Amino acid sequence: MNPTVVKYEAVVTEIGPLVSEFTEAGVLVFFGDQAPEELREFAILHDGKKLAADVVPGDLICLDDDQFRVLAVGEVANQNLSALGHFIVKFNGESTPEMPGDICAESRPVPVIAVGARLKIIGSE
Amino acid sequence: MSEEKKYRKVRIKKGPKGWGKELIIEPKPGRDLIYSVTGGGIHPLAQHIADLSGGTPFDGFKSKAGFEEIAVVIIDCGGTARIGVYPMKKVPTVDIYPTSPSGPLMRFITEEFFVSGVRLEDVEVIE
Repeated sequence: MNPTVVKYEAVVTEIGPLVSEFTEAGVLVFFGDQAPEELREFAILHDGKKLAADVVPGDLICLDDDQFRVLAVGEVANQNLSALGHFIVKFNGESTPEMPGDICAESRPVPVIAVGARLKIIGSE
Repeated sequence: MSEEKKYRKVRIKKGPKGWGKELIIEPKPGRDLIYSVTGGGIHPLAQHIADLSGGTPFDGFKSKAGFEEIAVVIIDCGGTARIGVYPMKKVPTVDIYPTSPSGPLMRFITEEFFVSGVRLEDVEVIE
């Protein structure tokens, strides 16, 4: 395996009261902590800043000690992550993104996330 | 800012690959924000709609506004979150990407409140 590189790193700062609307559908919605109020309701807010390299299939999303393999990355997902800290993870096991903003990960139960959780996206160089 | 603002009604049609029909937007005093919730500041489409309609371009990531002040929202949503949040609040929503209703809030995404795939040339003044 090639050396790993941390592409994105953040700490969860806030969990919106309506996040369960999305987790019940197998989706996690992340936004940077500049997001306006109406988006915060549905989002997991975090303090991530810079996307060091584009997320690609095969990368790992790490949420504290859990790791989820990325299977597909929609065509606008990296742009949203880079500009807004915004990304969508669907734990659906799909290798083709349904929507252009999707990051698809292994089909597993959606992890429970709390304020203070450490988020990382790692890949190989 | 002058109080003598001239507002014009504009038609925003779905783009060739987009979803929906068209939105008719008419900014009014107190409800004239062209609210851009996009990466990289005011999106050129939001600026264009503001230029044509006389509305006020507004960056949703920089400042706060109430829904009642918003004439139309411009998003660069990849299809899951923003696509539903604004239609749910009954705010007319324009996605620059050609998305179709999806996601947990899909039931709120209707032709009355949403068009997608919109390009600059899909906006025209009608009055």
